[in-house]
Amino acid sequence: MTEVIAHRGFHGPSNEEAIEAIHNELDALWDDASFVPDMDRMTFATAVIEAAANIVQHALPAAEKPVEIDVEISVWPARLVARVSAFNAREPFADDMQASMPDSEAESGRGLALIEALVTTVTFERQDGTNTWILTRNT
Amino acid sequence: MQFSYEVNDSYAEVKGVGRLNMVAAPKLREVVAEVVAGGSSRVVVNLSETDFMDSSGLGALIGCLKAARQAGGDLRIAGVQPQVKMVLELTNMDRVLTAYPTAEAAFGDD
Repeated sequence: MTEVIAHRGFHGPSNEEAIEAIHNELDALWDDASFVPDMDRMTFATAVIEAAANIVQHALPAAEKPVEIDVEISVWPARLVARVSAFNAREPFADDMQASMPDSEAESGRGLALIEALVTTVTFERQDGTNTWILTRNT
Repeated sequence: MQFSYEVNDSYAEVKGVGRLNMVAAPKLREVVAEVVAGGSSRVVVNLSETDFMDSSGLGALIGCLKAARQAGGDLRIAGVQPQVKMVLELTNMDRVLTAYPTAEAAFGDD
C-alpha cells in the first residue's frame, strides 16, 4: 500500500489572490515533504501555477455563479499529484487547449506547452460543470 | 512582487523581487514602459531576486523587449535563478532573452 505523505489544498474565487495563495500552499507543501528534490519541486510548482493561471485568465462562468478554483496537491512516495479544478465553468474552447509552443515574438500562449514539458502526465476531465486538470510528476 | 529601477549613464536597471507571475506581469510592463518613455531604451531586468516566473511573466519580458527595441534600444536580463532559467530553456526563449551574470555585464560589451 502506498499512502499520501503530504497534502495541501486551496478553494476560493478564481482571481489573482488565488494564484498567490496557491503558490504559498505549494511552498508549505515542501516543508512537510523535505525529501522531494529541488528539480521536482520547481517543475511541479511551475506546472500547477500555469494550470491555475490558465483558469483565472480563461475560465468563463457557465451560468450566474462565478468560477471558483480548487487545487489539491499531494506528495506520494514516488509521485507528485495535483488536481486543479474550475467550478461553475464552461467547457473550454478547443482553441484554448492548444499545446504547441508559439513563435518567439508571441507574448502569450505558452502555458499549456510548458505544462506538458514539466510533468509526466496531463489529464483533463469535465464532470458536472467542473473542469479538472490532473497533473502528475514521477519523482 | 516589488519593482524598482535606477537609470545609469548607459542603461536603466529594473529590479523585480518575488514572483513574476500573472499578477506581477502587467506591473513589469508598466515599469519598463515608464523607463523607456523616460528616454532609457537600453534596459536590464535584474532577476537575481526573482525566484519564480511563469508564462505570463515571460510574455511580459518579451513585450518589454519589443518596446525597448522599438525605441532603438534593447532589453537584457541578468542574475537569472534556476527556475527562471528552466522556463527560458523549455520555451526556447533563452536564445532570444540572453542571460548575463550581472546587470553591469549586460551592456558591458557595447
